[in-house]
This record gives sequence, C-alpha cells and structure tokens, in this order.
Amino acid sequence: MTPSSLFLRITAWLGFLFLYAPIASLVIFSFNESKLVTVWGGFSTKWYGALFRDPQILAAGWISLKIGFFSATIAVVIGTLAAYVLSRFSRFRGRTWLSGAIAAPLVMPDVIIGLSLLLLFVAMEHLFGWPQGRGILTIVIAHATFGAAYVAVVAQSRLVGMDLSLEEAAEDLGAHPVRVFFDITLPVIAPALVSGWLLAFTLSLDDLVIASFVTGPGASTLPMVIFSKVRLGVSPDVNALATLVIGIVSIGILVAASNLHRAARDKEDAAPSHRTNEDMS
Amino acid sequence: MSETTAQTEIRSPTDPESPPFLQIRNITKRFGAFVAVDNVSLDIHQGELFCLLGGSGSGKSTLLRMLSGFETPSSGQILIAGKDQAGVPPYKRDTNMMFQSYALFPHMTVEKNIAYGLKREGVPRAEIATRVTDMLSLVKLNGFAARKPNQLSGGQRQRVALARSLIKRPKLLLLDEPLGALDKKLREETQFELIKIQETLGVTFVVVTHDQEEAMTLSTRMGVMADGKLVQVGAPHEIYEYPRSRFVAEFIGSVNIFEGRIEQDGEDHAVIGSPDAGMGIYLSHGITGTLGQEVAVAVRPEKIRIGKSPMEDLPNTTQGTVDEVAYMGNLSVFHVRLETGKIISVSQSNLVRSPEDAITWGDRVTLGWDGAASVVVPS
Ligand SMILES: Nc1ncnc2c1ncn2[C@@H]1O[C@H](COP(=O)(O)OP(=O)(O)O)[C@@H](O)[C@H]1O
Ligand SMILES: [Mg+2]
Repeated sequence: MTPSSLFLRITAWLGFLFLYAPIASLVIFSFNESKLVTVWGGFSTKWYGALFRDPQILAAGWISLKIGFFSATIAVVIGTLAAYVLSRFSRFRGRTWLSGAIAAPLVMPDVIIGLSLLLLFVAMEHLFGWPQGRGILTIVIAHATFGAAYVAVVAQSRLVGMDLSLEEAAEDLGAHPVRVFFDITLPVIAPALVSGWLLAFTLSLDDLVIASFVTGPGASTLPMVIFSKVRLGVSPDVNALATLVIGIVSIGILVAASNLHRAARDKEDAAPSHRTNEDMS
Repeated sequence: MSETTAQTEIRSPTDPESPPFLQIRNITKRFGAFVAVDNVSLDIHQGELFCLLGGSGSGKSTLLRMLSGFETPSSGQILIAGKDQAGVPPYKRDTNMMFQSYALFPHMTVEKNIAYGLKREGVPRAEIATRVTDMLSLVKLNGFAARKPNQLSGGQRQRVALARSLIKRPKLLLLDEPLGALDKKLREETQFELIKIQETLGVTFVVVTHDQEEAMTLSTRMGVMADGKLVQVGAPHEIYEYPRSRFVAEFIGSVNIFEGRIEQDGEDHAVIGSPDAGMGIYLSHGITGTLGQEVAVAVRPEKIRIGKSPMEDLPNTTQGTVDEVAYMGNLSVFHVRLETGKIISVSQSNLVRSPEDAITWGDRVTLGWDGAASVVVPS
C-alpha cells in the first residue's frame, strides 16, 4: 500500500467516523441496561419495551405515520401532475413560473416555509373558515407541498428520459391521450414515483420545524415529542426511539435508492434507442 | 388471415383508373422559419409498397408523422380513402405506424404489446386471443408471447413492433426506418419477409428509409426526397435508369457524370460535347434542350465496357489507364483515368474465376458504351 492510498483510506475512515459515530453511539446506548446515558451497564432491550408502553410516544408515532402516509400520497399526485405538465407541454403561459414554484421548497429554509404556511392557514381560516384550527390536517397539507417538490424532481427526470414515441405508439393504436397517461406513462415512471413517495414519507417523518409551525393542540408528531423530552434531559428511551426512527428512515432511503438504480438499468427499454443510421449522409 | 388470401397480384402495377387511396396535396410543414417538408404532392394507390427515400434530415419522418397525425401540416391537404384528415387526431385515424425506435411498451409482454390496439378498440377477449396468435405466427414469434421486450433480440423486437402495428388491420401502414436498427445481413433477410407480409395482407405500406438498396428491393414505387422536396417519383427501375436530375442520378447507385454542351440534337440522335470526356458523347435518341445548353451526361459504371482491344461496335469509346481495381467478389470495379484527367468508374461481372488477360493496375484500356446507355440531366 502506497503512503498516499493509506492517507486516503485514513481520511475516508475519519470522515465516516465523524458522520456516523454519534449515530452509532446513540444506537449502542439504546441497548444500555443502565439509566445513566454515559455509563455502560450491560445489554438490554428494556427501553424499547418502555417505549411501547409509553402512550404519549405511541400516539405521536401513530400521528407521524399517518401524516407521512397521507402527505406522501398527496405529494405523489401533485408532484407527478406538475412534472408531467412541465415535461410534456413545452410552451404555455406560466411555465417558468410553475417550474420555479415547484423547485422553491427545495431551497427555501424550513423556518420560512413553516411561517408562511402558518400565515396562509390563519388567513384561510379567517376568510373561508377552512381549515378549522391547526392540527394533523394542516401538517399533512404542509408536508404534501414540500414533498411534491421532491416527487416532481424525481418524476421529471424520468419523464424527460422516456422515449416519447412510447406515448405516440399508444395513441396511434387508438388510445385517447388520457388513457395513454394511465396505460403507458404512469407504469413507465412508476419506479420513480415509488422512490418519490418514500422520499416524501421519510422527509415528513423527519420534519420538526415546519410541523411545529403549523401544528395545533393534540397533534404532536414524533420529532416534536423527542425534542420536548430531550429538553428535560436525555433518557435512554429517547435513544431507543431515535434508533427506531433511524431504522425506518434508512430502510426508506435504501429502498428508494435501489429502486431508482433498478429503474436506471431498465431505462434503456423506455429511452430512445440509439440509431445506427444517424452517421449516414 | 383469411380475408386477404384472394389478393395475389398486388405487386403488379396498380390500376391508375381507381382513385388514389392516399392523396397528399401540396403539403408543407414549417418549424418556425425552417421548412422541413416543402410543397409535396403525392398519390399512393391501394396495395402499393411505397418507399420514401432521402438522406437524414430530408423531411421523410416529418411527412410520415403528418400522415399519422402527430404533426399538423402548415398548409396543404391529406386525404385517406377520400376523407380529409385535417383535425383528425392520431387515435382516430385508420392508419398505424411502426416507429423507428420500435416503441415497445417495456412493462408489457409481447402478447400485451400486440393486443393493445385491439383492446382499445373494444374487441372481445376471445377474438383478441386468436388474432394475436395469428399475428404471432405471421411474424414467426410463436413461443415468445410471454416475454418482455428487454428479453428479445433486435430482430425479434422489430417483428413485435411490426405485429403490433398490423394487428388492427390498418388500411395504411406507415413504417419509419423499419429495418434501420438491424445489422446488414438480418436487414436483407427481413426485407423479403416484409414484402411477403405486405403481399399476404394487401395493406398499403409507406416506408421511410435512407438506404437506397432497401428502397429498390422493397418498393413497387418510390419517391426521392431532398431538402423537404419530393424530387422524383417512380418505379425503382425508372428512378435508376431515368433519373431526371443530377441529384437523383448521384443519390441512387453510383454514376459517372460528364459535364458538357448540346452540340447536335436530331430526331433520332444527339451529341453532347464534353471536355470532361474529351469527346462528343453520342446518344441514340433525341433530347429536349437547345443547342449550346449546358447539361450533364450520366453513365452508370455497369453500362461501360472495359477491354484491351478496340471496340468498333460502340459509338462512344475512349482510352485511359487503370488507376485502381477493387475486387468485390461478384464484380470488379475499375477506376480508369482518362487523358483529360477525369476518373471513370467501370464495373464488370466476374464471369470467369481467374481470367488470363485480367485487367490490372496500370493497364492501358479502352472504354466504350452504347448510345442508349447514358442519360442527359440538367446540369
Ligand atoms: N419538432 C421539430 N421541431 C423543429 N425541427 C424539426 C422538428 N422535427 C423535425 N425537425 C427538422 O426537420 C428536418 C427534417 O426532419 P425529419 O423529417 O426527421 O428528417 P428525416 O426523417 O428525413 O431524417 C430536420 O432538419 C429536423 O431537424
Ligand atoms: Mg427520420
């Protein structure tokens, strides 16, 4: 091994250590017998047991899963439509505006998104009486809006890479354009949509800032509960809870990534084939 | 397919009395300021296999896409079976298209791909099944019904695409470079299969291709396109033997072009004085043109005789030195440099295995051709 490659290895390992040591220690201490966070008292899963007997945490977990599920689903519908319009209708009024609006939540600070949505909800309640108060519904709407942005990005890249003659072939065989969308376009981009859904779900599960802005009484998500518990001091059951969340999030991201990878591999079927005759004349 | 067996003599010249099945009238397509298809008019009769031949970018696909409804003509009219197609969307047209990329639905099996058109038409399930089976055997894909497109070879995909576009029994099938993605050998085999299928079904085919040999082999009639214009339409032998322009003469096959001026023009003969050839080229027929007009004389390589002895029986003879010899198996191509410096290509069938007086590099040779061997085209 040359000195330079040894150096590269060491830096890489240090980098990983820096990123994952805190998480690793959190996971390890979630199996700690002792109540003291810093002292190892032997292996135990009792904090996980305690977790599943804590009604507050169970309720928050359930709320978070519900919010994640519904917001991700809405995000996929909105994001797909936006991506379809952006990639298939090249010129229409407001195209630039729409593509900008779609991308904005990706770069906007959470605090700004949370605050603006809160103001919007308050104003809407004042004007139309809907949504009444704030709670799960408003969090779902908030998460759906920024989830849609992520879905749109993922779906659009797949739509742009898709061979347009697939859609034309279906139309040529007698399918109305709406039918073509459901028969051809959706199945072809489906892997991207699954990834988009998982991404939106994970982001929703993970979000503390936006949810804190738009939530109301009785709608505490898991991140909120963890955050408020930690303020009273780190207890081992929080470690256990965090470990579970990390597990779910990692699985989500892994599935999404491998799904996208597989989609990229299959893509040659759906992408324009390379013509062998382009070099002539 | 039972109802089509009655038709036998489809490749014979079509009845010019019957109204054309497809009428293209002064079609123009502009993309912004760019004219992709320029005032094309063309009639195609029922049962023809018509090839649109042209270089890449000449507007072939655009013309085809206007027939299928995917592009709207900027001006002009398209009639299919007498019906104006303006405003008829692709999904309502009685045409089907085979796409250059095949466009097989990647998430469907071969069977589902082929059945798709019938399903959309609302054909009963039992009938779909029998028609798909028939179609699979027509394109020799029995046993592949359950495969996905990515489990097929290029040639098999091509046949699925063909089957899918034929399943609705369209009156008019449009094929965009149907054999373009196949390798040379497979392409030649498939050409004949395509002709056979077209003959059995009696469907009118319009095939786009950039390959002139393919167009010659496939078509009953062909049209040559250049820069969006249809420059000549005719049967393959007409286009080859009687090109009406220098472009067509040079585009189809290889040709020797001599620049010159009309020196004599009589009832039964004409002479073109050509400094290129260093002689007056004699033609055994009259031509249209005025004396002194600049023209070009086109002579195909296989119409020129090459030899070491004089050729008194031919009206056009000249001498030169062999510059290059290319042996191609069935024939040899000679490049002969004339005294004027002009290089003429001559091809000769290799009738004898190893002739004793074989012409080789550096030989002094005589070239000669008949009065009817050449064609005069505008310069
Ligand atoms: N949608 C389009 N927008 C702009 N230009 C186009 C479009 N489609 C085709 N063209 C242009 O029209 C010309 C003819 O294209 P095409 O019909 O595809 O040629 P061919 O099939 O003969 O190779 C090309 O120069 C191409 O760039
Ligand atoms: Mg083309």
